[in-house]
Amino acid sequence: MLELAIGIILGGCALGAGCAMIAGIGPGIGEGNAVAKACEAIGRQPESRSAVTTTMLMGCAVAETTGLYALVIAILLIFVAPGRFVDILLSAIS
Amino acid sequence: MENKVNSTVKKESLYIACSVVILSMLMEAVFLIIGKWTISVLWGNLLGGLTAVLNFFLMGLTVQRAVGKDEREAATLMKFSQTYRFMLQLAVGLVGTLFSVFNVIALVIPLFFPRIAIMLRPYVGIKYDGAEIENSDEQQT
Repeated sequence: MLELAIGIILGGCALGAGCAMIAGIGPGIGEGNAVAKACEAIGRQPESRSAVTTTMLMGCAVAETTGLYALVIAILLIFVAPGRFVDILLSAIS
Repeated sequence: MENKVNSTVKKESLYIACSVVILSMLMEAVFLIIGKWTISVLWGNLLGGLTAVLNFFLMGLTVQRAVGKDEREAATLMKFSQTYRFMLQLAVGLVGTLFSVFNVIALVIPLFFPRIAIMLRPYVGIKYDGAEIENSDEQQT
């Protein structure tokens, strides 16, 4: 029974980490769209190339943070959470 | 095909690198104050900070390359670049977690420093002077 409970904890953590990593797709799509629109803007006004590039760089860096949150949560779920949950389970049983 | 690094990318990467160094020192100070400082904090901070700066620089290079391309090509290039950089960060996160030489918290926090640096940018007093950047670009080309 204990093995089953530990298995459920590990499985749940792995599943949660996988779900969290879905958030990593969003920044890629967002950055792609931002760069595509920036290219369009530069095509219309080539003289604004540097200003658009600077703003786009900053925007992309901000957008990427969302993916980082997901990454941190996934790492925590894989490496930190299972140990804590198993400890809680064992202390509850004892 | 441009092989040289654009002056805008250089300037922004330098700003981010300086900000990461300053914020890393602040983080080290906080670790010292709360009495949790060990050598693993320093190693974790170094790895995390380097990854954050490298990630921003690589993003800048991709943006520089994407700007001269077709809309669809640029979007695809950016998506691929983001995926590879995300994998790089994942690898660094895994290395930090698996090896006890690195403190995980000190490794993960610097990854967010570029975002903090961008948030603080208006308060630091650096403005986006388009004309100035354009002139510097013209001089370079």
